[in-house]
Amino acid sequence: MKKYIITLISLFFITFAWVRCSKDLPVDSDGLLITTRAQCYVSNFELLGADFLTVRTAAAVIDTTAQTVNCTVFYGTDLKNLYPQFSLVTDAKLDPKIVGKTDFSDLTHPKQWTVISGNRKVKKTYTVYITVQPKP
Amino acid sequence: MQLKYYNIILLVFFVLSFSACKKSDDTNLVLKNDCIKRTLGPNVVGLNIEFAYAMALPKSAGKIVSAQVEASIAGAPSTYLENRSFYTNPSGVDVGIAVGSASVNTDNKTVVTFTKDTCAATLRYFYTVPEAARGKSVTFTFSATASNGETVSYTMGPYTCTKMDMKLDQVAVDNKACYFSVADMAFYDAATAASNPGKIDLVYLYRPITGINFNYALVSPTATDYLPGVTLPAGLTNSTKMVKTWNLNDFNLARLQYGVYIDDADFPAIDFTNAPNYALNLKAQAGTWVETADGKYRAYIYVNSVAAATSSMTVSIKRYQMK
Repeated sequence: MKKYIITLISLFFITFAWVRCSKDLPVDSDGLLITTRAQCYVSNFELLGADFLTVRTAAAVIDTTAQTVNCTVFYGTDLKNLYPQFSLVTDAKLDPKIVGKTDFSDLTHPKQWTVISGNRKVKKTYTVYITVQPKP
Repeated sequence: MQLKYYNIILLVFFVLSFSACKKSDDTNLVLKNDCIKRTLGPNVVGLNIEFAYAMALPKSAGKIVSAQVEASIAGAPSTYLENRSFYTNPSGVDVGIAVGSASVNTDNKTVVTFTKDTCAATLRYFYTVPEAARGKSVTFTFSATASNGETVSYTMGPYTCTKMDMKLDQVAVDNKACYFSVADMAFYDAATAASNPGKIDLVYLYRPITGINFNYALVSPTATDYLPGVTLPAGLTNSTKMVKTWNLNDFNLARLQYGVYIDDADFPAIDFTNAPNYALNLKAQAGTWVETADGKYRAYIYVNSVAAATSSMTVSIKRYQMK
């Protein structure tokens, strides 16, 4: 009986030590996991006004090859106070981070964001082109 | 051994019966009272603060003779103490039973004299916040007197009254009463706007333009790009900053089921940096924060309803003086 107990305890300790010693995935400077995924693209784009309602007239057109986002907004949209929202592929992150309102009013200099893949080895810079719906 | 247990149990029963038969505490024979505040949200000048004041004494000790409330600042003339005591019937409806004569306001006191032989009542008190209380704290002392000479009192507060103003259900009509003054919280026609152009902060217009979402809009007189078909009276030069909102259904303004209140502290907190001077495509339950060109006033304009048939929009306003 005693022999069985000693064997079981030993087995438990070995298993525990093995689990504890398995290598964790590393984290980046933002505390996010660096995974093995190399995909790097924007899957969806939303643009909200100061009232947190969408200002898009239609779904934004995302070209993952040209790395562009084209979005048409309503006539009269206040371009200085917009909240962009990106949906990215799993494990990817955005640089620079979006921390509040963004000024899109300088249409000649479209805003750019870089998508960084889950393995942090692939970086793709997307340019967001805003078009204001013309007055008929 | 068994006898020993019987003795112990017997002793416990004796102790219990002795305790249970002890004469009840004398404090139960005195007049008692309690009070709760029934209203939530800011105490705005012109609105009521409601309380429910309960008082009772044993029937054998006497009856209630009077109840009174003393406010630290006299309420507006519409302040009153209910002369009916309410109970809630099985259907959940509050039913009032008259127990005294209508309340009388004398200076800052409101008194109800009981006319019914009653030893328990709950009276509601409605304190209409007066102009004198704007930005100040107010305290209430509720008291009741019984026929045996006993008096009890209960203090509530202090409650801070707001500095802001409020105006409900102002109707804007396109090309008629369409010139809005934040200072007056009112819409004026072109003739009145022309006679006092410095007061006009916004222009209301309704434009159902096909292909774009313009519809109901509030636009500063200087934002001429967004004033199609509007000929402004001379001298309108104010540029009013605006921050659009959606679903900010202030309870006082909307009078809907939402327990959301805009208070004094909210106005200075709004960031008007780079804010536009127009708000297009307003809808019922939308709103907009505004700041006048001189920075004197900030306000929240809530859209209660819109009506395409009459090209009109009904709004309610809370306004705060910044300087």
